[in-house]
Amino acid sequence: MRDSRSEKLFYLMNYVLLTIIALSCITPLLNVIALSLSGADAVASGRVTLWPVEFSLSSFNSLFTGTPIMRSFWNSVQITVIGTALSMLVTVLAAYPLSRKQFYSRRFFTLAMVFTMIFNGGLIPSYLVVQNLGLVNSYAALWLPGLVSTYNMLLMRSAFEQLPGEVDEAAKIDGCGETGILLRIVLPLSKPMLATLALFYGVGYWNAFMSVMIYINDTAKYNMTVLVQNMIKSTSMIQDFADPTMLATMTPEGIRSAAVIVMIVPILAVYPLLQKYFVKGVMLGSIKG
Amino acid sequence: MEITKAAPGTYPDGPEAKGRFNGPKWKRFKTNLPLLLMFTPVILFYLIFRYAPIGGLIIAFKDYNFYDGIFNSPWVGFHYFEVLFQDPRTLEIIRNTLMLSLLSLAVGFPIPIILAIMLNEVRSMTFKRTVQTIVYMPHFLSWVIIAMLVSTAFAMENGLVNRIVEQITGDVYPFMYEKFSWVSIFVGSGIWKDMGFNAIIFLAALSAIDPSLYEAAAMDGGGKMRQIWHITLPGIRPTIILLLILSMGRVMEVGFDQVFMLQNANVNQIADVISTYIYRIGLQGAQFSLTTAMGLFESLVAFILVFTANTIARKFDQGLW
Repeated sequence: MRDSRSEKLFYLMNYVLLTIIALSCITPLLNVIALSLSGADAVASGRVTLWPVEFSLSSFNSLFTGTPIMRSFWNSVQITVIGTALSMLVTVLAAYPLSRKQFYSRRFFTLAMVFTMIFNGGLIPSYLVVQNLGLVNSYAALWLPGLVSTYNMLLMRSAFEQLPGEVDEAAKIDGCGETGILLRIVLPLSKPMLATLALFYGVGYWNAFMSVMIYINDTAKYNMTVLVQNMIKSTSMIQDFADPTMLATMTPEGIRSAAVIVMIVPILAVYPLLQKYFVKGVMLGSIKG
Repeated sequence: MEITKAAPGTYPDGPEAKGRFNGPKWKRFKTNLPLLLMFTPVILFYLIFRYAPIGGLIIAFKDYNFYDGIFNSPWVGFHYFEVLFQDPRTLEIIRNTLMLSLLSLAVGFPIPIILAIMLNEVRSMTFKRTVQTIVYMPHFLSWVIIAMLVSTAFAMENGLVNRIVEQITGDVYPFMYEKFSWVSIFVGSGIWKDMGFNAIIFLAALSAIDPSLYEAAAMDGGGKMRQIWHITLPGIRPTIILLLILSMGRVMEVGFDQVFMLQNANVNQIADVISTYIYRIGLQGAQFSLTTAMGLFESLVAFILVFTANTIARKFDQGLW
């Protein structure tokens, strides 16, 4: 197909603009990577842009030896892995019965759940519930109040509903119970949706900030987001942790940047694997509404 | 199973066994039993962590103290609502919340649509996929990281932006400490984080448009811009309306993390919003009843907004329910 001149201009502009947008998304990250890998002098004098200057791992070195980042890293891993597993389990337990036509009062239950999406008790009453259950300062306070996201549950339910009905008819004839149908047919066929929602929950737990700040008092139990936020808010905290000999070879910017890299790497590691799934998952949700 | 044991000699599924424990109702109950068992933890979750807090909203009408608890604290009626709406400081907070979220909505809502249309017009699949991979990513970063990226980029000393500004004007600009630039950075960072991810849903809607419509328009000599205006936009209108309704519900909530990470003492007059107020005064200052009243006000307004938006959308046959 031949393009007219105005069309050529349109496509050219489109490519240029999209390139600018993509660059704007990636430049700040490149800057932080460069800062974390540069020498202290180069960072302090502001010579670092998008490429490391006077390459050095001293920021990472000070971060790992001088701050409790590794402990908070493992806390984050623990919060994320257990939290995602629990959320996925209960979301399946909610979505599967609601996707079955013979389930009692599925319309009532769905409405009662959707209602909580548009009206909720808010922060203080939720805090009082968690407090009365004695969960403050335990990770259960991070997992239980947000166990099921109603939106994610609706996405999963519509994924289950879209599976062909003949398969589970056949399974029933073969003597499969509801649990059998769920475990052997429905779940294996819904892998893209499960991967999408696991990613959503996982990222939510990994990035958890407000809940940790509200419910966790013990600094040894802090996850990375809260620890790094504290490090950013008070430079003095970094100096408290680092030993004096190290202060000469580090800058707060360098250490913060290194901390940001440690937080991003796990997300970047799973992101390409899951990208094709979450695009499919979001699209599936959009079609059903 | 016990029933069959109790009546030896009869065939459980035979015609004689027809009674209370046979027939369609019993059969339905039998298939429902495992489903109900599965569903029990879900019901418990929603009762304890979703509906109990809604019940807990009554403390907005009580003078809650820890000793008496939710039920025994004395009633005070609308006292705390009067306090809220007479205090110029809280009115300012409500105004800030509305301003920041309406600005984010007005500026931020069309951008994913434009981005999706632009991506849809790209012919090179490699280019499209590369751009998509990059622009979806910020959605998965926490606000701690984004606030750090923002403050690094706009820092007075050595910030990337200020180094460019310095070269042009010869002086640095306190972007994070001036009200106007702070609000711009606030809105911009929200758009930066979510524009790519929010574009996915519009891309899905775009892929459902019949390509023959474009061919017909091209035959008739319609240029690209006219095709977008007359074919693309009407084609994704239901999706646009749907997402607009959903975002109406979030007008009263400015994300806590975003404000909390980006705010600083210089811009507090404009950057203090309902969520940070409830955190600071309610949780840190232990003013539970006062801030619950604020929370109830927030929830009610959000509820009314969603309802109104949906009623309007229903007039055009595009309601959510």
